[in-house]
Amino acid sequence: MIRRVGRSGRARRATALLFLGAIALGGRAEVAWFRGSTTSSEVAGLLRLTDPLAALEVSLASGAALPIGALVGVAILVAVAALLGPVFCGWLCPVGLLLDLQASVRGRVERRLLKRGRKLPEHRAPRELAFAVLGAALGFSWVAGLPAFQLVSPVNLVAWAVAFAVGPALVLVLGVLLLDWIAPRLWCRSLCPLGLVYALLGHFAVLRVRIDRERAGVRPCGHCTVHCPMGLRVMEEYVSAGQQSVRTGTCTRCGACVDACPRGVLSLGFGVPGRRRSATGGVAA
Amino acid sequence: MKLPVGLSRRTLLFTGGALAGGGAGFVATPRAGVVPALLRPPGARAEVEFLAACIRCGQCVSACPDDAVRFTGIAAGVHLAAHGTPRIVPREVPCSLCPEYERLQCVAACPTDALRPLADRRDARMGTAWILEERCFAYQGVVCRACWHACPYPGEALALDARLRPVVRAEACTGCGMCEHACLTDEPSVVVAPPGRRPTALPTPEAVR
Repeated sequence: MIRRVGRSGRARRATALLFLGAIALGGRAEVAWFRGSTTSSEVAGLLRLTDPLAALEVSLASGAALPIGALVGVAILVAVAALLGPVFCGWLCPVGLLLDLQASVRGRVERRLLKRGRKLPEHRAPRELAFAVLGAALGFSWVAGLPAFQLVSPVNLVAWAVAFAVGPALVLVLGVLLLDWIAPRLWCRSLCPLGLVYALLGHFAVLRVRIDRERAGVRPCGHCTVHCPMGLRVMEEYVSAGQQSVRTGTCTRCGACVDACPRGVLSLGFGVPGRRRSATGGVAA
Repeated sequence: MKLPVGLSRRTLLFTGGALAGGGAGFVATPRAGVVPALLRPPGARAEVEFLAACIRCGQCVSACPDDAVRFTGIAAGVHLAAHGTPRIVPREVPCSLCPEYERLQCVAACPTDALRPLADRRDARMGTAWILEERCFAYQGVVCRACWHACPYPGEALALDARLRPVVRAEACTGCGMCEHACLTDEPSVVVAPPGRRPTALPTPEAVR
């Protein structure tokens, strides 16, 4: 299987790297336009953003509402997720970036193995497992009075590592990366509670992978399904099922399927696909 | 109305997770007096409350003009509950209480009010300085006033007694750690302990130079 890293792939690696770079520079107070990490940050000295799950955990832990400034920061990210879907996962998440980069290596190893007629394991776990993780995080936070997931979140650990050079805890991140060799994206698909929160918020998002019905289903190849990091059955459940778009909060809008599609059926954008107005991947007729 | 299968499974898993997490949380609840004692930046809530309210973003660390506020990573001897929180290590860099700024920079940076604004900087109670007389030069008869010179509120927070030995007035001490930083003995003879704690450093005769 050939892993295609197309326009979307390069773009999302660039945005995620920029985010990680901003965290690294901001943590060392090298730049004035960014300060903070994945749980809460301040951009350009005025835009204060706060992660909805971290905010919820802190509220449950402390048994009090957050100050208005933090609530505004949460509202902004909730609004972004509601409109654009879990774009944090697809375009900014540091763990997502590491897994994305590792996927390229995995793809290469896979090709070598295929020549010898062998395959890497591709185990899956149910998506619903993340609900249990989310429940556990919230339950622990409320009872123990500690923002549970924030203490161990691999997403935070990567951010802290680059901002404050906190090393040892990265073992956990390494674990997530190693897990990926047995079960691709198990973390994102079935465990990450932050991703689940964004998925729930982004269920009705208007930014979607759109399906060009005129081109769809001519010769279904399934590259989209194979390339979806979230393991969505894009071809079977959406393209071949006559859908106009991939309408689910699980889709991180990363554009991997758009890059993978050899026929330009898929594009990332708003509304019904128009060939000339498509945002990415839409080949002009 | 019958719930769709997917939803009930989700609800079940969420509830199960919440119960398990709650159970684990009950065991792991940090209790006052048991939680590890770290010196917090000025305006910090009481330790147990602080651990709950701190969102672990590290903005106070980046905002500190003196680099006095440090990020607490997972390390030997650091409680998991303290992971991601800020602390001050006075022997390295003490808190100057931001004399050049209108507001305490760490407090201004805190998004969740885990660090709360102070009406007056003198109200900061990061901890209290303790003098370990067995080590202190002044108590050994050697003339030394390093801590008194360093104290931002000399005579009030740290005074000299009739024999010119330093004495801490706990009611006025902000716990900034300027004295601990300035102390001339190898191991500091004046140490800041978090609110309500006694210094863990037990003076030994060997430590006295």
